Amino acid sequence: MFTFWEIVLQQFINGLVLGSFYALVALGYSMVYGIIKLLNFAHGDIYMAGAFTCLSVYSLISGYMPGWLGISLAMLAAILASAILGYIAQRVAYRPLLSAPRLSLLISAIGVSLVIYNAVMVMTNSKAMFFPGGINKSTGISYGHVTITYMQISLLAAAFAAMAALTVFISRTKLGKAMRAIAIDTDACYLMGINVNAVISFTFMLGSGLAAVAGGMYCVYYGNVQYSMGYLVGIKAFTSSVIGGIGSIPGAMLGGLLLGLLEAFGTQMLGSSWKDVFAFSLLILILAFKPNGLLGKPEVARM
Amino acid sequence: MALMHVENLKMHFSGIAAVDNLSFDVQEGSITSLIGPNGAGKTSVFNCMTGFYKATSGEIAFMGTSLINIKPYKITEMGIIRTFQNVRLFKNLTVLENVMSGAHSNTKQSVFGALLRPAAQRREEKEILERAEHYIDYIGISDKKGYLAKNLSYGDQRRTEWARALAANPKLLLLDEPAAGLNHDEKEKLLELISQFRDELGITVFIIEHDIDLVMKISEKVIVVNFGKKIAEGVPEAVRKDPLVIEAYLGRDS
Amino acid sequence: MKLRDRISSWLESKFIQAAASAALLAFMALLPLFTDNYYQNIVWNAFFYMLLALGLNIIVGYCGLCDLGYASKFAIGAYTTGILIKTYHWNFWATLPVSIIISIVSSVIIGLPTLKLRSDYLAIVTLGFAEIVRITARNLKITGAATGLIAIPRPTFFGIRLVKITHWYYVFLILVVIYIIISFRIRNSRFGRALAYIREDEDAAEAMGVNTSLYKLYAYVLGAVLGGVTGSFYAVKMTSISPGSFDFNQSVNVLLAVILGGMGKVPGVVLGAAFFALFPEFFRDIPVIGDMRMLFFGLLLIAVIIAKPQGLWPERNK
Repeated sequence: MFTFWEIVLQQFINGLVLGSFYALVALGYSMVYGIIKLLNFAHGDIYMAGAFTCLSVYSLISGYMPGWLGISLAMLAAILASAILGYIAQRVAYRPLLSAPRLSLLISAIGVSLVIYNAVMVMTNSKAMFFPGGINKSTGISYGHVTITYMQISLLAAAFAAMAALTVFISRTKLGKAMRAIAIDTDACYLMGINVNAVISFTFMLGSGLAAVAGGMYCVYYGNVQYSMGYLVGIKAFTSSVIGGIGSIPGAMLGGLLLGLLEAFGTQMLGSSWKDVFAFSLLILILAFKPNGLLGKPEVARM
Repeated sequence: MALMHVENLKMHFSGIAAVDNLSFDVQEGSITSLIGPNGAGKTSVFNCMTGFYKATSGEIAFMGTSLINIKPYKITEMGIIRTFQNVRLFKNLTVLENVMSGAHSNTKQSVFGALLRPAAQRREEKEILERAEHYIDYIGISDKKGYLAKNLSYGDQRRTEWARALAANPKLLLLDEPAAGLNHDEKEKLLELISQFRDELGITVFIIEHDIDLVMKISEKVIVVNFGKKIAEGVPEAVRKDPLVIEAYLGRDS
Repeated sequence: MKLRDRISSWLESKFIQAAASAALLAFMALLPLFTDNYYQNIVWNAFFYMLLALGLNIIVGYCGLCDLGYASKFAIGAYTTGILIKTYHWNFWATLPVSIIISIVSSVIIGLPTLKLRSDYLAIVTLGFAEIVRITARNLKITGAATGLIAIPRPTFFGIRLVKITHWYYVFLILVVIYIIISFRIRNSRFGRALAYIREDEDAAEAMGVNTSLYKLYAYVLGAVLGGVTGSFYAVKMTSISPGSFDFNQSVNVLLAVILGGMGKVPGVVLGAAFFALFPEFFRDIPVIGDMRMLFFGLLLIAVIIAKPQGLWPERNK
C-alpha cells in the first residue's frame, strides 16, 4: 500500500512531467500573444504535427542507429517541421490580418487549426500511430513505492534545458530584445528600423519549435499519437499561459507546471473522468477573477 | 455654480503623472478650451471626465454630482457627450444609424420592446429617427445619410461624429481635437458650428486643442496645461501674453 | 446607372424582397407534397442548422462576441427537455419554459463574470464551458452518461402525435420563420442597434451611453435561449441525445455558418447554415472529398476572413 506521502510524492513527479508538456506548449501561446495579441488557436495542432513528424521519422530511422540518436534526430526533424508549419501559417493566414480586428485573427487561426487537423486526419486515415518498441520506459529510481523513471528524468531535463535556453535567449540576445520591444510598442519598433515582420515570423517559428519538443516528448512518453491530440493539450497549454499571465515567459512556465501538478492531484482526488472539468473550471475562474494571471501585467487601454 | 468642476485631479500611469493637480471650472453656457502641446495630458483629462479612466485622486463634479467611479455610459446619460481625437464612428453602419446612436442615452426601449413592439416602442423608434434626421440636416450631411461610415471622406466622418453627439441633446459637449485633419475652410466652418452649438442649441462646449489660434477665436476661457500641470488660465488675450505659456508652448510664433 | 447598381437597388426594394420571401416560404411549405422522407429529413437538417445559426448570430453577428461553445447552449436545452420527459414524465410543451429558464440562468452565471473580458478570452471561456457541459453530461447518471438519453417519447400538438418526418419538417419550418422574425425585429430596434454599436466599437458605444456590459449579457442570454429552445425541439425530434452530438466540431460548424454567411446579415446566415447542412450530403459518397471537407472549410474560412472580412453576403452598396 502507498502511504499518504508516497502518493503525494508520486503525483508530484507525474504532475511535473505533465506540467512540462503544458509549459513548453504554453510558451508558444504566450510569446505569440505577447507579440501580436493573437490567441493562436492552431498552436495545439502544430504541437500535434510535431509529434507526428517525430514518430514518423523515428520509425524510418530507428533500425539504423542507437535509440538515443534516433530520438534526437527525430526530435530535430519535428522541431524543423513545426517551425516551418508555424512560419507558413503566420505568413499566409495571420500577416494579412495584423491590422484587422482581433476577432478576424482568431477566426483565421481557427481556420488554420481546421486545416492542419483535417490534413493529418486524412493522411493517417483517422487512426492512431504507435511508437516502435525498443525504448525502456519502466526502469528508474525507486524510493519506497515512489518511482521516477529514467525517461521521466530525461524528459524533465530536456524540458528544463529548453526553457532555460529560451530564457537566456530572450533576455540576452538582440533578437530576444527585439521580441520584447515589439510586445511593448510595435509602431515604435517600425520607426526604430526593426524588421518587425521578420521578428514576428521568428517568434512563430520559435514557439512552434518548442511545441514540437513537447510533441516529440509526448510520443516517446505515451507511445502513441493521433490527430486529435492537439486540441486538449492546446487548450490546457492556453490555460497554463493564462494562469501564469499571458504574454509573460516565466509565467507560461510556472503556469504549465502548476496546471500539471493541479491536474495530477485533481485526478487523484476526483478521478480521471472529471480531470478536464477541473482544468476548464480553473481556466474560467482565473479569467473571471484574475485575468492578468500570476505574473502578467495589466493592459492599459490607450484611447 | 460651475457646470463642471474639476479639483486637484491627478492621473498616474505606473508612476508617471499624466495629469498633475489640475483644477478648473467650466461655466454653464460657455465655450472653454483646454490647450497644451502634444502629450501634455489633455486627452487623459477628457478620459477622466468621461469615466474611461479612473482618476488616481481628485474630484470631478457635474452640476454638483461627483463623477468619480461613475461608468462612462452613466456619465453620458447625465448629459455629457464626447467626441474622439481619432474619429470613432461605427464603420460598417450607415450615417443614419451612427447618428441614431446619439439618441440612445435618453431613450429606454430594450429587449422586450424589440421583440414585442408595443406602441411605446414604435413611438420611440419614430422619435429616434426624427431626431437623427434633424441633426443630420443641421450639420449638413443629408446627402450622405445612407452611406456606410467607412466610405465617407474624413471631413464627413468628423461631421457625422458631431451630428451623433448633438443627437444626444447634451448639456455639455466635449470635443477632443475637433479640428485635427481638417483643411482651412473646414476649420472656419467648424468654428461657426461650435458657436452655433452654444448660441442656438444652448450647449456648453469644452474643447481640447493643441492648435491655439483656433480656440482663441471662440473661447471665453482658455486653460493651458503642460506636463499635466496647469500653467495658465484666463481670457484668450491674457493667456496669449503669459510668459509661461509663450515659453512652454507658443515660443516660436508669438 | 450601372447594371450592378440597378440590380442591387432593385433587390433592395421592399416590394421585391417581400414578394421573394413569400414565394420562398410558399415553396418551402409545399415541398413535402412532392418529396419523400429522405429529402424531407435533409431539409429538416438544414432548418435545424438555420435555427442554431440564427441563435448564434445574435451573439456573434449582432454583438461581435466570439462564442466557441454554442453547442453547450443547445445541449442544455436538449438535456433539460430530455430529462424532464424521460425521468419525470413531463409534457414536452411544459418543458420549454424550464429549458428557457435554465438557459437564462446558466448563461448569466457564465456571462456575468466573463463578458467584460476581451473578445479572444471570451472565446476560450465559452469553449471551456462547452467542454464542462459535455463532460458533465458524459459522467452523470441522470444524463445517461456516454450513451445519453434514448427513447424520448414524441410530443403531441393539438391532438396530433408528431411522429412523421413531415410533421417535424413543418414544426422546424415554423420555428425558422419565428427566429427570422425575431432576428429582424432585434436588428431594427434600439436594442439591436446598440448591439451593432458594441460590435463596431465598444468604447464609442459606451461613450454614446450604451451600458455595454448589460447589453452584451442580453445578447449572450438571448442567443443562449434561442439555442436552448432549438435543443429542446431537437431532443424530441431525434428521440435520443448523447454527449457526442454537442462537441466542439458542432460549435465550429455553426460558427462557420454565421461567419461565412456574413456575420449579422440574416439571409446570409440562413444560406450559410443551409450550405453547411447540405454540403456534406452532396459530398458524402465521394471518397476523398467527403473526408476532406473540413479541410476545405478551413481554407475557405482563411480566404474569406482575409479577402472579405464581412462575410460572403454582399454588402449594402453605398
